[in-house]
Amino acid sequence: MILKIEDLVSSYGVIRALKGVSLEVKEGELVSLLGANGAGKSTLLKSIIGMVKINSGHIRYEGKEITGLPASRIINNGISIVPEGRKIFADMSVADNLELGSFSRKPDKALDKQILETVYEFFPRLYERRNQMGGLLSGGEQQMLAIGRAMMSNPRLLLMDEPSMGLAPLVVEEVFAVIRKLKATGVTILLVEQNASMALEVSDRAYVLSTGNIVDQDTSENMKKKNSLVEAYLGGGNKED
Amino acid sequence: MNTNVKSGSLVKWAVTALAVILLPLVLPNSYFIRVLDLVGIYILLSTGSNILTGFAGQLSMGQAAFYGVGAYTTGLIGMYLGWGFWQTLPCAIGVACIFGLVLAIPALRLKGGYLTLLTIGFGEIFRLVMNNWVSFTRGPSGITGIRTVSIFGFELATKTQWYYFIFAIAALGLLYQRILMQSRVGRAFIAIREDDQVAELTGIDITRYKIMAFITSAVYSAVAGVLYAHLTGYISPDSFTANESNFILWAAIIGGLGTYLGPVVGGFVMVVFPEALRALGSLRLVIFGVILMLVIIYYPKGMVPFFQQLGNRMGDRFHKGARKPRKEGGE
Repeated sequence: MILKIEDLVSSYGVIRALKGVSLEVKEGELVSLLGANGAGKSTLLKSIIGMVKINSGHIRYEGKEITGLPASRIINNGISIVPEGRKIFADMSVADNLELGSFSRKPDKALDKQILETVYEFFPRLYERRNQMGGLLSGGEQQMLAIGRAMMSNPRLLLMDEPSMGLAPLVVEEVFAVIRKLKATGVTILLVEQNASMALEVSDRAYVLSTGNIVDQDTSENMKKKNSLVEAYLGGGNKED
Repeated sequence: MNTNVKSGSLVKWAVTALAVILLPLVLPNSYFIRVLDLVGIYILLSTGSNILTGFAGQLSMGQAAFYGVGAYTTGLIGMYLGWGFWQTLPCAIGVACIFGLVLAIPALRLKGGYLTLLTIGFGEIFRLVMNNWVSFTRGPSGITGIRTVSIFGFELATKTQWYYFIFAIAALGLLYQRILMQSRVGRAFIAIREDDQVAELTGIDITRYKIMAFITSAVYSAVAGVLYAHLTGYISPDSFTANESNFILWAAIIGGLGTYLGPVVGGFVMVVFPEALRALGSLRLVIFGVILMLVIIYYPKGMVPFFQQLGNRMGDRFHKGARKPRKEGGE
């Protein structure tokens, strides 16, 4: 078990965002975490990396308790996050952005080079634009850069927060193609998404979060058939395909 | 960031070093050299400001307090214990580390204008304590009779000897700035300056690096303070006012925040210009203020980036056709 969360209660000030969430991710799995706006999905990710106050419960990563550790310690442990809203260094070049991605692990030039090659292979656009400022990239390219930067830390567990948010449908397809490829490299992924149908296409299992509670969990195959449930929590989604 | 040190730039460094060595020999009298001594001290001060504000992005307007920490540690240790430079320097560095930490802890939680207010308050508190704790610091009358520096029994007596001593230390300070900024620490500083939230998500321990930035900056300023105290032999709270803090920050800004040589240019401008304008009498500070405003309006990134641009443009004109287009930034 690479990640095991038990009875997690987290809050923003007085607002209780997670009310006892339990969740497991196995090595090599791609698990999606679905739910409507405000369900607590992002809070859960932020709790894992130590950026939200945790009231009670446990988060274990590879068997070690990481509850309450500061973000830098957790990320140094082999967890990496692709943050919501494509947070990149806008005034730094693409190459510098990627270089900073490797900051959290021990300096290793050979590994840096090897991963950088993989990143550029995944995202040829980033290679073309390696000397441009991050802020000048398109939304989709910035998302690719955020993913590439997270890859640079060579994570064993990758957390992705709404990677499709605010992107054009074609770009969303591209992002999900990348997620598939990432999974194929063996990295474990916990994917938070509002776009449930796309997320269920790529993931092995899924959890449904609603107002701070896990209300359902199943394999993605089964979850797809539970139309009623998905509709109830996600307000329909695009179910044509 | 370009890191390639070629033979061309080696020549440039050799010429610069030679100029620095020869400069006092061509100046007409010791008044000019005394001004240069202060330039050297200002280079250290603005390097400290440059590291904290220019590279790590934490706007501090209380640098005079760290400067004062160095000077007062020197003055007080000299007065009570009779120790000289080689003892006061490490003590001042130690005390500066503590003060850097003291300012960093509340500063961790603040950004932008609030951080600036905190640093102003810090500077004023330091000055007021030095001013009012008369029994310990002698208050407004200051501390006199601070001994000069003695190196292996050789006492720095003339302004020229001091000039070489101060500039050697300033050069070390600039070298260390460069080494630091090209290390992991420097990359973390820049990442925090660019966006501390993203930096944190990238796994950078922003608490640790912000504290490091404050302490490093405090040490630079304190070393300048130690030199100042030994150089002038007299210190009082008047030398460490909010106005002094402003001058230090201005030196870093005018030179070019986040550039390696900005502190040199800034230190020069902020010390030499007010002296050069003395002929204007009481108008001099008005004129100086106007000059600073014009520089900042037209070259908001400071003078070093402006010179670099100018240099590039002239270079291109010189080598038209002879040189291929400049290579894009380093790997």
